[in-house]
Amino acid sequence: MSAPHPIYHTLVRLYPKAFRDAYGADLVQHFDGLVADRGVRAAWGRTALDLAVTLPRYRLETIMNERHSANTISIVIGVVVAAGIATLLVDVGIYLSPLLLIVALVLAVLQRSAIARALRAADSDGRRRRLRTAAVLGVVFVASFVAYLLLIGDTWTTRETVLAIIGNAAMIGAVGFLAAGLLTPRTSERHHPNGTM
Amino acid sequence: MTIYRSSVQTAGVTDPDSYLPLPQTQFHVLVSLTAGERHGYAIMQDVEASSSGLVRMGPATLYGTLKRLVDDGLAEELAHRRGPDDDQRRRYYRLTGLGQRVCAAEANRLAGLVRITRANLRPGTA
Repeated sequence: MSAPHPIYHTLVRLYPKAFRDAYGADLVQHFDGLVADRGVRAAWGRTALDLAVTLPRYRLETIMNERHSANTISIVIGVVVAAGIATLLVDVGIYLSPLLLIVALVLAVLQRSAIARALRAADSDGRRRRLRTAAVLGVVFVASFVAYLLLIGDTWTTRETVLAIIGNAAMIGAVGFLAAGLLTPRTSERHHPNGTM
Repeated sequence: MTIYRSSVQTAGVTDPDSYLPLPQTQFHVLVSLTAGERHGYAIMQDVEASSSGLVRMGPATLYGTLKRLVDDGLAEELAHRRGPDDDQRRRYYRLTGLGQRVCAAEANRLAGLVRITRANLRPGTA
């Protein structure tokens, strides 16, 4: 990429890497064309506003894209797993775990429904399998937690112990498979590296 | 043989109406591509001319829009240039079949609005 207009060339570097890699040369070439056709002042008049609008927008889109969602979810998932392990040591953990799991799921939904899109999209078999396993384990976890709440009594019995073990194992498995599924590259990403902005 | 770069299709979405209403910039770019294959700079010039200078797209807006259209399967990029007379450094784009249907659907939608507006604003109807 030549740089006859070093200021614009430098500003193009502020765009997200994927967009820059895909269209950086086109942007600079386009700007060159504007300067050649309409002069420096007119070219900057149009491009300055374009930069002010698109730079924050494309950056925000990058933050909101699925890969970043997966990273955010992974962090929350780590907290959930830690809470699940804490359940084995402290009784209150079983109340904390589902709350954090719900937070993780809400985050996933808010951030462009990463899980739903991953399940819908034409992904690799491995990715689909992991996400479906996570969904099944999630259902087991919720069922065991509800059963635990319904059956809990004044004294800790073998029944509650078994439910706690099943629930925690399912929850840890669910978040593990969820993380593995979300972090597995999509088929389209492997074939189309410019799929994200 | 012309080879086209692969585009990421929106999974299973082939109903043109599901894309409506189109953002203004996307529709302008699609309209420009109805005339044939175009590179980015030519699209910008087309859009400016067809809108009587009202729509002026900056470089990043234009290429961001093209990226979105390619990702949605409405446009596709030509890997090979049209001919030796064309600028070999530029990337050319064209409409896909889905893009043509979506563009036609949006045009029909807007035509319906225009009909309603004209009927309501006929002299003597106020």
